[in-house]
Amino acid sequence: MTDHAPQNGAPYGDAAARAAMRCADCAMSDSLAHDAVPVDRMPLTAEALAGFPDGVPPSTGVDRKRFLQTGIMGLASVYGASKIDWQQAFEAAVAEGAVANSMLVVIYLNGGNDGLNTFVPTGTAYADYIKARPNIGRVLGPSAGGKIGTIPMPGTSGELSFAAPLVPTAPLVGLDSLWGTGTGGVGSDLALFPAADYTPPNLSHFESRDFWFAGMLKKSPTGWLGRWLDAHGSDDNPLQAISLDSSISKQIRTLKKPVAAVGSLTGVNFQVPGVPTTDTRLNDEIARLAAVPSGSGNDQLARTRSVYDLTVKVSNSLSPLAGQTNAATGYPTSALSTKLKLAAQLLSAGLGTRIVTLDWGGFDTHGNQLASQDPQLAALGQALPAFSADLKARGIADRVTTLVFSEFGRRINESDSGGTDHGAGGPMMVMGPAIRGGIAGEFPGLAATDRGNLQVRTDFRAVYWQILTEWLGTDRPELILPGGPFTGFSRLDGATTLLK
Amino acid sequence: MAPRTVRPARRRTRRPIAKKRPVKLPRLASSPRSHRLRALPTVIAEVPMTAAMVDRLMWRAGFGPSEADRQALVGKTVGAGVDALMSTPQGPLQGTEPKNGANSLDIKARTGDLVLTWLDRMVRTPTPIVERLTLFWHGHWTSSRSEVQPTQLMQIQNDRLRKYADLAANPTADVGALANEMATDPAMLRYLTGESNVKGKANENYGREVMELFLLGVVGPDGQPNYSETDVKEIARAYSGWRINEANPDAIVSYFTPARWDAGQKSVLGQAGAFNQSDATAVVLQHPNHAGFMVRSLWDHFIPTAPQPDTLADLAKTYLDSGRQIKPVLRKILTHPQLFESIDEPNMIKSPTVYAVGVMRSLKVAITDERVNTFLNQMGQLPYYPPTVAGWEGGPAWLNTNTVLGRYTFAQELVGKMTDYADAPTETSQAAFDRAHAAVGGPWLSAGSRAALLDYATNRAPAKTVAQRKNRQVVLRTLMLAGPDSQVM
Repeated sequence: MTDHAPQNGAPYGDAAARAAMRCADCAMSDSLAHDAVPVDRMPLTAEALAGFPDGVPPSTGVDRKRFLQTGIMGLASVYGASKIDWQQAFEAAVAEGAVANSMLVVIYLNGGNDGLNTFVPTGTAYADYIKARPNIGRVLGPSAGGKIGTIPMPGTSGELSFAAPLVPTAPLVGLDSLWGTGTGGVGSDLALFPAADYTPPNLSHFESRDFWFAGMLKKSPTGWLGRWLDAHGSDDNPLQAISLDSSISKQIRTLKKPVAAVGSLTGVNFQVPGVPTTDTRLNDEIARLAAVPSGSGNDQLARTRSVYDLTVKVSNSLSPLAGQTNAATGYPTSALSTKLKLAAQLLSAGLGTRIVTLDWGGFDTHGNQLASQDPQLAALGQALPAFSADLKARGIADRVTTLVFSEFGRRINESDSGGTDHGAGGPMMVMGPAIRGGIAGEFPGLAATDRGNLQVRTDFRAVYWQILTEWLGTDRPELILPGGPFTGFSRLDGATTLLK
Repeated sequence: MAPRTVRPARRRTRRPIAKKRPVKLPRLASSPRSHRLRALPTVIAEVPMTAAMVDRLMWRAGFGPSEADRQALVGKTVGAGVDALMSTPQGPLQGTEPKNGANSLDIKARTGDLVLTWLDRMVRTPTPIVERLTLFWHGHWTSSRSEVQPTQLMQIQNDRLRKYADLAANPTADVGALANEMATDPAMLRYLTGESNVKGKANENYGREVMELFLLGVVGPDGQPNYSETDVKEIARAYSGWRINEANPDAIVSYFTPARWDAGQKSVLGQAGAFNQSDATAVVLQHPNHAGFMVRSLWDHFIPTAPQPDTLADLAKTYLDSGRQIKPVLRKILTHPQLFESIDEPNMIKSPTVYAVGVMRSLKVAITDERVNTFLNQMGQLPYYPPTVAGWEGGPAWLNTNTVLGRYTFAQELVGKMTDYADAPTETSQAAFDRAHAAVGGPWLSAGSRAALLDYATNRAPAKTVAQRKNRQVVLRTLMLAGPDSQVM
């Protein structure tokens, strides 16, 4: 994992590392994105893992189940209609089952997204940029001669432009629709921090990702959002924070409070595929087996049966969602879309969800970068506005903020194999109707570099800090992000808030 | 052993956790469990085994019983059974060769094949106790492929650990020799950064863990620290100087470079000398709390309830009297009455690896692809990828709402692929139950579970058509093998 790390002050990367299409860790990082050969697990405390550690809240038994089913039934008919109905419906819900006022979706771009080919320095820095990237650099203006072009970003004085894949041809909707005028007013819903990271940068996928997830420059048993949950979350609702992956994101790892990982809604039942009975779920049969009493003193068998019972309960809560499809349009065909559709369903379902995390992509582009990054940028550019429209139709857009980041940016100079090696300083995006759009952190340019990498101008924890204090809400952010507040939040209009 | 304390977060070790935390104090004399314990004979080695005892032994010291195991061992004494397990030489793997898709396994070509290679060995070995003990060492003296490259290093380490698990071939294998081998094992040198432990720039990683996790524990039975931060710094100097020679990728070895070794005087655990690696390891092994720590770690792998203080003392004495050999103390643990506690109702949660391998052995299925790795990850234990240097937490933490679904779905898929679903039009629900139970290897089911399953077969499983009767079989087998009762041993 140290293949790309600086050794004793030597320049980043040697010729061999640059020539390599992919180091083994990078391949591992990619496979993680696809859950093929996963590795990166940490045991949680039994309490945090247990699902409902103290049993299902007594106030949310049958009534809650009935409500949930009603709510879901309502979703099909209310979808796209006035949000007043939703409001009234959920105000009647038990408090913790209601849709929260502020919800956060975190999209982690796995592998280290190359920021300079995402938001292109088309102003004074362009000469340095294209010199560093003669083969994979973007051309100014429309795509031409087999080269990908750029599309201006209003409000940046021409210093930055969208890479063309982010902005598809109408009628498709791209990232520009969220950007708007880039000045933070109505319709300018995307805040961009072009050079976010930490210093000194660590160029290992695993180390750096752990730092981002922990919200600290060291490994930690808890994630930054996990610590917020421990301070402000529910004691008994695991669906308050959901990772849409096979394992729980390190971001939401807690010490005490329950959180959940939901890979997909198709796998949440005790199913028997291929058995053509009227009900292929064995939830009820499993519940019967889980209800068999264990001999006194047999703690481990008792726990086994109780966790099976909890799993049935979570499954029964989620199953109604599985029966419906998210018919929202505008999403591109992508695994990211699948997850965002699911996120929209969960957030609007009244499950008490505050946080959703998802991992996506293979952005570790050591070689042949254009062929792998650009399709993913296109998917990202279309999926985010589609997600926004989906949330609007569900009447909850105002209550959802989305954060996008990657574990590091990439080297300014392209590699010999048409890619870029691990670098520092990448784009961090925060979006939602509540967000004051525009450039919210400095772009350092390329004239001066940090050993061949972008100079870091925004400490990523400064963005976390604003999200925690302004959006999710906490009165003691320094307990969640030790060492804060952090520097790097900076807007041209002088505003000091992340929100409008 | 006193409860392990939580250590502060530091440097590159991944997480400050207390390993094997869920150790509970023994129940008071009036508790039902103690009652059961008292009902057991104090010396069980001479007791002839019932079927339930054979099942218990074969789960704890292997991956579950086969019918052949049951036939061979019922009626034999516990001692004779354990001796047979520990003295049977490793034989060739039995059954169908593994595949990963169209390919034969090749750990250099596909990282996932590293895991599959070991799983295949666990599934097909005629001496499962060897793999079971190797799995213990892997979790105890651990390294992770996620931080160790190339992949072969992990295989080399695994083979090294297996020498200390194959007690038929190495009946006098001892922890001291293992400790010396692991201190210079290439994967360990990489995992705990020993290769960058150089004179003048000591790297404390291995030196700390060898005391904290591998040989001593943070505190002793009296709650006092077993070592100080100074001991960590000093012992790290003794471990300096080792590197890895990767010139031949098929024979990667570690080697000692005297110029990189700190040859100065060190003071470790109250002893002074110009210690090198083996000197320092010997000092740790002589710590008065080492034996108790080591035998307790071994005990916890096989028995979920804490040993009585006199039991622990007896085990430690056996261990020390034998020169820290593994076999004598392991025999005492495997023949201890507490292993057979709660004999009618298994009381230890299977680790994901033991569960998955057990299912595959029960159904006699071969490795065909990497899907099992995905499931093991979902279950929370992908071999070769421990989450931290402390290995896997285990115990009750194995189970949560996600891992349970992983266990269920893994077994259900394999049940779904079974082909012996011959139709039996006149089969009674009891006969259907019996057939399903035999087909999945006759796993333990509580009386209440049997009643619930029979109730399903009788009252909730229509059996009028061929398809319905097959469904009944699939569901029964699934519930037997993937339900809660199958998760304990």
